Amino acid sequence: MLPVLGNDVVDLKQASIDSNWQRKGYLRKIYTVQEQELILDAEQPATMLWLLWTMKEASYKVINRLTGVRNYSPLSYVCRNLVIRDTDVSGMVTAGNYSLYIKAEITEEWIHSVAVWKKELLDNLKIHYLSNSSYYPDDFNLSCAGYRLTKDNTGLPQITNLHTSMTSEASVSHHGRYAAILYPKSL
Amino acid sequence: MEKEELINELTIIVSPYAQDAEALAHIQEDTDFIRDLKINSANLVDVVLDVEEKFGIEIDNDSMARMLTVKAAIRIIEEKLAAGAGK
Repeated sequence: MLPVLGNDVVDLKQASIDSNWQRKGYLRKIYTVQEQELILDAEQPATMLWLLWTMKEASYKVINRLTGVRNYSPLSYVCRNLVIRDTDVSGMVTAGNYSLYIKAEITEEWIHSVAVWKKELLDNLKIHYLSNSSYYPDDFNLSCAGYRLTKDNTGLPQITNLHTSMTSEASVSHHGRYAAILYPKSL
Repeated sequence: MEKEELINELTIIVSPYAQDAEALAHIQEDTDFIRDLKINSANLVDVVLDVEEKFGIEIDNDSMARMLTVKAAIRIIEEKLAAGAGK
């Protein structure tokens, strides 16, 4: 089974500097009416907003890899079945005929979402968090001896297990102070 | 409005969000907002909203979905302005 994965990290501090989600028209361009209600009714609206955003963005990465289509249509990625327990989140995103499974983590400083297209894949994920810098691929290769992060011939990230010489696709996201690298645990 | 004028207006709009100054300095029709200018995808909606405000148009979701390049943005602005003028 093709392990198509997508992830997205948001540095909440950076996001609060870069985006004014309270500007006129912002919410309804990106979020469905139900999602807007979730955001506005949340104890911390900005946290809910960025959680839903990372879910949409991680899902877009999966569908973009499956279809090869690039577009900017966050509104057509609909967040569903959201369950939040402390810092752990599960849910789904539907977009057209696709349904993606979501696992996310919320902290005071950042939010990270993972999207996969088969539920079983949620149990086969390894997430590596790093400080964001232009050297984060090198940082990953140094801190994860035995693995090498590179790009395939289409420019998508991939990771090779140097012991088995097996290569799998990876998903990489970086924002503000944080970088997150996602790949199959089975690699 | 001339194409060159539209590119100038767009350049002013994207400047605060573009993270690649070099690409911004060489902006042209084929410039990609995300790949070339390195605009954060969470800020692309700000570009859309700024374009709406600047030109007094409404950019629907289908148009927003394809607004990834300067060329696409120009086409959308021209379409919407023409549709508005015909009313």
